[in-house]
Amino acid sequence: MSEIRQWGAEEIARRVRAGEISAVEVFDACLRRVQAVEPKIVAYLRVMAEEGRRQAAAVDRRRAGGEEPGPLAGVPVAIKDNISLRGQPLTCGSGILEGYVAPYSATAIERLAAAGAVFLGKCNLDEYGMGSSCENSRFALTRNPWHLGRVPGGSSGGSAATVAAGGVPLALGSDTGGSVRQPAAFCGIVGLKPTYGRVSRYGLVAFASSTDQIGTLARSVRDAALGLAVIAGGDHRDSTSVHRPVGEFPGRIEEGVAGLRMGTLREVDPAELEAPSRRNYEHALTLLEGLGAELREVSIPTLRAAVACYYVIATSEASANLARFDGVRYGRRAAAGGSLAQLYAGSRSAGFGQEVKRRIMLGTFALSAGYYDAYYDRARRVREAMRHEFAAAFERVDALVVPTSPGGAFAIGERIGNPLAMYLSDVYTTPASLVGLPALSVPSGCDRRGMPLALQIMARPFDEATTLRVGRAFERAVGFQGEPGFVEPPAA
Amino acid sequence: MALDLDEVRRIAALARLELKPAEEELFVEQLSEIVDYVDQLREFETAPGSCEDSLAEPMACGAKAAPEADDVAADTLPRTRFLDNAPRVLDGYLVVPRVVTAEKAGEKETKRR
Repeated sequence: MSEIRQWGAEEIARRVRAGEISAVEVFDACLRRVQAVEPKIVAYLRVMAEEGRRQAAAVDRRRAGGEEPGPLAGVPVAIKDNISLRGQPLTCGSGILEGYVAPYSATAIERLAAAGAVFLGKCNLDEYGMGSSCENSRFALTRNPWHLGRVPGGSSGGSAATVAAGGVPLALGSDTGGSVRQPAAFCGIVGLKPTYGRVSRYGLVAFASSTDQIGTLARSVRDAALGLAVIAGGDHRDSTSVHRPVGEFPGRIEEGVAGLRMGTLREVDPAELEAPSRRNYEHALTLLEGLGAELREVSIPTLRAAVACYYVIATSEASANLARFDGVRYGRRAAAGGSLAQLYAGSRSAGFGQEVKRRIMLGTFALSAGYYDAYYDRARRVREAMRHEFAAAFERVDALVVPTSPGGAFAIGERIGNPLAMYLSDVYTTPASLVGLPALSVPSGCDRRGMPLALQIMARPFDEATTLRVGRAFERAVGFQGEPGFVEPPAA
Repeated sequence: MALDLDEVRRIAALARLELKPAEEELFVEQLSEIVDYVDQLREFETAPGSCEDSLAEPMACGAKAAPEADDVAADTLPRTRFLDNAPRVLDGYLVVPRVVTAEKAGEKETKRR
C-alpha cells in the first residue's frame, strides 16, 4: 500500500468516509511529513498541529455519529497566509500586519470546513502576493522541493512547495497575475485559477481587485477540480462573486479531448522560451494532437502587451487597496510622536517590504494627475482590446494552450535584484488574469536540470470544465512522476 | 520616460511613504526602467469605443454578479473583536495623533497628549 502522504484528496476523503482510516490518522501522517521536510523547504509561516488535529477529531466524531462528513472528509489543507482563518494570525508575509489575528474566516475556508477539510497550516507567500519567487516574504525563504537552491515560484510558493513535498494533498492559493499557476508549474503540481467571480474573495486580503481570485493547488487535476467544486459559488459577502453552478465533481473530467478544437497562439515567441521549454511545449502539442484534439493557430496581438498592461493595472489597484495599512486600525504602528501624516508614512515605510513599496509607487504614479491617461487609462483600453481578441479566438477554439512560464524554476537570488526581469516571467499567466479566464497549469515534464515544466490551458469564462477535461487527458498522457528529490545546492 | 528624484519624492509623498536616500536612488533607476517598458502600451490597439460604456472591470465576463441580499438587519461582528487588532484603543475608539489643532498652536499641539 502506498504511504498516506502520497494519497490524493479524493482518495483520503473516500477512505475516511468508508471508515478505512480516521481523519486523525491522516492528519498525523501529513503532519509528520511536514515536520520532516519543513527544515529543508520552509513552506509554512505557521503549522497548526493542535488546531488541525482537533478539527480532524471532530470529523471523526461526526462520522461516528452517523453524519455525512463531506466530500473532503479528513483532507488536510494548507492555506496561503493572505486568506483569513478565524483566530489565526494573518500576516500576508508583511511586517505591517505583525500581530494581526483574523477576526473572521474567508468564505472559501468556511466551505472547506463544511466539506470536512481540516487545516494544517498557513503558508508562506510573497508579501501581499507581490512576487514570482516567494523571495519577498518578511518572514521566511521557501525553497523548491525539487532543488533547494531554486525558488518555488510565487506568490503562492509555500502552498505549492508543501503540496509537491507531500505535506498536504490540497492547498489554497490566490492568483492575481499567475500566483497559483506559476508556483504550481515550478513545483511540478497542478494549479487552477478559476474564472473571475467564480470563488468568493470574502476574507482574501485584496491586492488587485479586478483580477484577484482564490485557486486550488494539488498533485492531480481531479483533486484541483474537487477543491474548486467545494469553494466555488456566489456569496452575498462578495458582490463580485457569481451565482452560477460550477457543476458536480467529477462531471465530464474523464471524457478526453477527442474532437476539441485547441488553440495555439501566434504571439508565443519560441525564441523567448528556454530551449527545453520549447521542446517540451512542442511535445505537449504533439501529445494533444495524438489524443484527438484539433490544433489551430489563433492570434492575440495584445499578448505582447500583457505584462505592461498587467503591471500598470495591478499596481494601480494595489496602491489604492494597500492605503488601508496605515498603522491606525490594525498591524504595526510606527513609534508615537509627530502628526497623523507622519504616523501613516512611518508605519507604512517600516512595515512594507521593498517590492510592495515599488508597486505602490508605480501604481501611484500611473494614477497621478498628468499620467493617468497615458498609463492607467491606456492600460485599461488595451485590456479591453485583449478581451475582444480572446472572445474572437474562442469562437474558433474551445481551449487555448500555452506554456505556463518561459522556463523552469530559477535560482534563488537570480532575479530579485532586477524587478523588470522578474515581471517578464509572467508573460503567459497575466493574460488570463486580465481577461478573467479560467486557467489551469499541469506538469508537462522536466527540463535538463530536472526541474518541472508545465502547460497552461485556458478556456472561456466559467468553462473550468473544459480546462479540467483537457488537463486531465493531458496529465494521463504525460504520466508525470511527481516525486521531488530535495536536491541540495552545491556548497557555496 | 525617465523619472527623476523630484518625481520619485512627489510619488512617495502621494503614497504616504518615507523613502531613505538609498531607496530613492534605487527607485529612480528601477521605476524609470519599468516605466520605459510600460511605454510600449502606446504601440497597441485599444478597444473601439469608450471604455466607460463597457465598464471593463470587474464583471466583464458576461456573468451577473451576486444578486443583492435581502434588505434585513443581520448581526455584524462585535466591535471589540475588530478593535483587538488596533495598535491603540481608548474606550472603544481608535487613538490617533490630534488632527484638529487651534490655529497657530502649531506642532506642539499635535504632539501626543
